[in-house]
Amino acid sequence: IKLISDAGYQGEITSVSTASQQVEVFSRVLRTSLTNLLEGGEEGLEKNLPEIVKMVCHGEHTYLYSQALLQYLKEEEGGSAVRRISQELQKAAKDLGRDVTEMTLALGKASSYPRACQALACMLSRNALNPADITVLFKMYSGNNPPPVEVIRSPLFFELFMQALFKPGSKLNPEHKPKYIYLLAYAASVHETWKKNKRAAIAKDELKSTSQAIERATNLCCKERSEVVAELGTLYSCIRVPVVAMGVLRWIDWTVSEPSYFKLLTDHTPIHLALLDEISTCHPLLHPHVLKFLIRLLETTYPDLDVLVQLELKKTLLDRMVHLLSRGYVVPIIQYIKGCIDRGDTDISLIRHFVTEVIDIIAPPYSSEFVQLFLPIIENEAITGNLRTPDESDPVSDFIGHCRSNFVVMT
Amino acid sequence: MATSVRDTALWLHNKLGASDDLWAPTSVTSLLTPDTLYNTRQCFLELQVPVKLKLLLALVHLPRRQLQESSASVEHVISQALQDDDAWVRMIADVVRSYPKSGTLNTHLEDSQSVYGDTVENLRGPVSEVDTSSLLPLECKYLNRTALNAMLGQQPPPVKHFALKRKPKSATLRAELLQKSSEAAAQQKKGIPS
Repeated sequence: IKLISDAGYQGEITSVSTASQQVEVFSRVLRTSLTNLLEGGEEGLEKNLPEIVKMVCHGEHTYLYSQALLQYLKEEEGGSAVRRISQELQKAAKDLGRDVTEMTLALGKASSYPRACQALACMLSRNALNPADITVLFKMYSGNNPPPVEVIRSPLFFELFMQALFKPGSKLNPEHKPKYIYLLAYAASVHETWKKNKRAAIAKDELKSTSQAIERATNLCCKERSEVVAELGTLYSCIRVPVVAMGVLRWIDWTVSEPSYFKLLTDHTPIHLALLDEISTCHPLLHPHVLKFLIRLLETTYPDLDVLVQLELKKTLLDRMVHLLSRGYVVPIIQYIKGCIDRGDTDISLIRHFVTEVIDIIAPPYSSEFVQLFLPIIENEAITGNLRTPDESDPVSDFIGHCRSNFVVMT
Repeated sequence: MATSVRDTALWLHNKLGASDDLWAPTSVTSLLTPDTLYNTRQCFLELQVPVKLKLLLALVHLPRRQLQESSASVEHVISQALQDDDAWVRMIADVVRSYPKSGTLNTHLEDSQSVYGDTVENLRGPVSEVDTSSLLPLECKYLNRTALNAMLGQQPPPVKHFALKRKPKSATLRAELLQKSSEAAAQQKKGIPS
């Protein structure tokens, strides 16, 4: 195996247990997989991640070694991408039922702050926040010399705050709620200046406004629908704060995932779905999450709803996708629609609705990538045949004509 | 309960020797009593590689007080592991060696472990060339813009794929909802249920 690896053919070593027997061979295979992940970016993550997860999570020693290596590389230029890979591996290990909390904390900055580390370890390994440990952290972070913000800026910790503050039915003691809000706002808004491994400044100028936005939004999310409607302007302004937008997105998800939600609706576009538009408008980083959520809703069947009502609901969901597309999240949406056509599992009238809405709002100049993806959909007779007129004076024919005369279209 | 060095070796083999699961079992913290750790220092070299690895990894799961109570035994085990014949055992011992005293794992192994150093060196290139906006850390979506910019620098705007000749239907919906909202707020002020 080592000879195969020495000759540069680590790609041929497909068995994880074979590759992981020798640290040298493992390191080479790991290096190839990490390079693929770094080069593939966000789009390649879904495809490339399972292979590296299998290898890294093969044993606790392979996991620790890989994470130590990634921790070292996080400090390098470009280290933020390495941080993401490290987080994805943590998440995958957790999903496999492995508790890697202690290892994660012992590899990061938290290890230099034993009290904070202990409080975090307790909550992260149990997957739930608790008032006692939150109070410990609150005291530290509201004191004069708080630990680095990085210590509490972990994705899993953020997720636990989302569940405690935004999940319908969450039983959070009102006496402790301000501490939760303070810590969440601190993690989301404070930034520090570091010089030669020493903290030179802590900027807390957005801490108060972020805390207020979280408080207002969490209060509104507990209220009745009519009260939310009456304070929509307030909710819109709170949503401008990213951490609130994320919380509201989770709240919408939990709310509409209730089996009876759509059954009891009378509005054409329920307020929860309309709020998604505001989130898409304000936060490009949340676009992938909004799309993923919309896809899940779109692919759910609603047996309690009449067929025509279901179609209307799905058109409403597609309208949200059109809004998302208008805010710049284009390629993943068109790719998704193309996938629906290729699989043949989506009512053609829904695809036609999407295409009509898109054609209605877009204008040149078009990017080549967009044309290559969208033109085959537009040229599909089954979809746009009855949207075209014989004299070709319709928007579909205009789009086809424009693309044919300005782009070399690959078939 | 293990009573002698020989018993401890056999007992550890039974508890940690499973080759179908290479992760330390969750019960490991209750297994590593001060007595067991004391006996382990005398039988460490006899143990099989998977058992040695799980023992070293278990140290990270031990409560700090338990580690401090057995610090001499733990130090002794780690120093033997650092000289082990197996490269994985030496590597993991090097990562955990700082843990009992500082609570921090050692990630600076580039001088002591050549494989680690070579891997770091070979990955430096791909890491420095990566477009940081293409793979953002998961916490970024929660951060205020100033905090995000302080962490990663200004993010590039999204690629423009087309111009907009008019706003989508969602714009009308937003205006209608805000209108409805002000009507509902006015009704609430008057005390009329909506």
